[in-house]
Amino acid sequence: MAALRARKGLLPWALLAPGLVFLGVFFLVPLYYMAEVSLKEGSLEEGYRLTWAFDNYTNAISDFSEQFIRSFVYGGTATAAALLIAYPLAYAIAFQGGRWRNALLLAVIAPFFTTYLIRTLSWQTILDDASPTVDFMRTVGLIADDGRLLQTSGSVIAGITYNFLPFMILPLYASLERIDKRMLEAGYDLYASRREVFRRVTLPLSMPGVVAGSLLTFIPSVGDFINAEFLGTSNQTMIGNVIQSRYLVVTDYPTAAALSFILMLIILVLVLIWARVAGTEALMGAEAK
Amino acid sequence: MSDRDYERIFEEALHREIDRRRFLRQAGVGMASLSAMSLLAACGDDELGGGKKEEAKQISGGKVGGTLAFSNWPLYIDIDDKTKQRPTLNAFKKEYGAKVKYTEEINDNNEFFGKVRQQYAQGDSGGRDLHVVTDWLCARMERLGYVQKFDKSQMPNAVKNIEPAVASPDFDPKREISMPWQSGQVGVIYRSDKTGGDLTSVNDLFDPKFKGKVTFLSELRDTVGSVLLADGKNPEDADLNTAMTAVEKIEKAAKDGQIRAFTGNEFTRQLLKGDSFAALGWSGDSVQLRVDNPKIKFVAPGEGFMVFTDSMQIPVGAPNAVTAQKMIDFVYQPEIQAQITAYVNYVPPVKGVKEILEKADPEIAENTLIFPDLSNAHNFATLSPEDERELESAFQQAIGA
Repeated sequence: MAALRARKGLLPWALLAPGLVFLGVFFLVPLYYMAEVSLKEGSLEEGYRLTWAFDNYTNAISDFSEQFIRSFVYGGTATAAALLIAYPLAYAIAFQGGRWRNALLLAVIAPFFTTYLIRTLSWQTILDDASPTVDFMRTVGLIADDGRLLQTSGSVIAGITYNFLPFMILPLYASLERIDKRMLEAGYDLYASRREVFRRVTLPLSMPGVVAGSLLTFIPSVGDFINAEFLGTSNQTMIGNVIQSRYLVVTDYPTAAALSFILMLIILVLVLIWARVAGTEALMGAEAK
Repeated sequence: MSDRDYERIFEEALHREIDRRRFLRQAGVGMASLSAMSLLAACGDDELGGGKKEEAKQISGGKVGGTLAFSNWPLYIDIDDKTKQRPTLNAFKKEYGAKVKYTEEINDNNEFFGKVRQQYAQGDSGGRDLHVVTDWLCARMERLGYVQKFDKSQMPNAVKNIEPAVASPDFDPKREISMPWQSGQVGVIYRSDKTGGDLTSVNDLFDPKFKGKVTFLSELRDTVGSVLLADGKNPEDADLNTAMTAVEKIEKAAKDGQIRAFTGNEFTRQLLKGDSFAALGWSGDSVQLRVDNPKIKFVAPGEGFMVFTDSMQIPVGAPNAVTAQKMIDFVYQPEIQAQITAYVNYVPPVKGVKEILEKADPEIAENTLIFPDLSNAHNFATLSPEDERELESAFQQAIGA
């Protein structure tokens, strides 16, 4: 009996082992080295020494606060925009999709068979100064005659929204689709209007999707640099661009590592706050019930 | 049809297949994110940079033959359009019996450096015998002890035929650790149908008339050097403070929205689309651009223009250094070089090429993009490692990162 219990105790660990080893080797170890590099001083030529240079962090914040703020503004705006676009879409597919559901879902994912880079580059064609899009908007007076769409904050945010949209749609769809339709009927039976059923039944039940989708969209979009690189100018660079240029161009590894850490910490804090506000049970509890 | 039209059709036929080596610069950014991750994962080494400053080891002994691993930029050597073979490499094989493994793996200097740094620091070339990088990176490679010194007694053609203009850069006055592959000019490329007149100077790019319609290069030395020249300063002997004045001018223009973007090869697309009217760009690209739109013109600025040179180097630990050295010498024969020039359309570093092409291909011999007047050409000063880092840092901040 005792042996069986011991084996039972080991089983969960055995199941966890591959994941834990993977995370240990490919996440924790690099994280440790990155922390170490972020506290070093020196240059490529002279080598780097660990001097506990915490001013790498303060300098990184003061030099690049502009790009930090911009990253969070862009990431936040893109997440909100993605939610506004994705919710009605996921709702329609889940409730009105009928037998077209799978086809519609496939249509959502289809553009993403193309690589990220190519998708972003093709936005340049859609938005450039001579494009029909810009022509049309000029004609109807939405932008000035010498105005432009490409290489503005708007184009960068639009690019991010587009690129991360499926990460919003899919979790939303998953949670909406799972809603027991009898709950909605019960709502109507109790003389709730359509709006009230949505507000008091559908929306709360779909919160796990909202929380998961917004996290999956927000986190990568804040660290994104491809959209700012190709759809923005030097006045739209995000923190990902800075980290990339510090690593590869300036070869200032300590600052780049410090920037990565600061970014990670800010995101972690924001996610914790968000989890508090939306409630972690929204993410997991509702499904467990 | 007028003569001009014939000229254009000829040019088109000549250049249609040939994109420039900067072709993949954009895609390189995507790759860069990957290499950034590998950098991260491996930053634990105590000697992150190497830090050892030793005299480069000279190549000696060994036999020419075997396999030669040659790393170069895309579309930077002649290709036979029919057989898809590379005539220069075939000729080398025929003469020395050495097979060449030619890899077009270099799309961006910084990205390539990030990729090879750790191997090179440990004296491992990753199997490479020969790489081609831009002069400032050649200098850095030497400083870090990543490359080997040539045995010039084994390179008679290179000694005899090197073009004087590129024979003694300040980082390698005797050309002991680098030998030029090709050079190119940096100049103003503009849409003559949109600018309402001819441009002559880099200062024209700061004209408020073109606000939001000009682009500069993201390559520090090309952009800062050209702006220094426009301000009447000489980039050859510019110190950090002088260079910073140009960076400030660029930063202000970027913040004000005068400069629309800092680009690699990307400027070509913006010019063609009309997103920009004028750009600081590379001569090689303009050959292709003029095929696509004859209204696009290249001008070498009157105040002087920057040239960049990409050079061959033999990395430490190269398995077949002796053969690599022989390859360098091989392309310094004017006949072989003429064959490369006729295809890539950059400026050859070898004397006597023009004379050969005058007979074989007069159109190319007369092209000032390929055979420019070098009396007005400038290089960027080689800065100390600290100054280089500070300037690069300031420039990156000026361009937004």
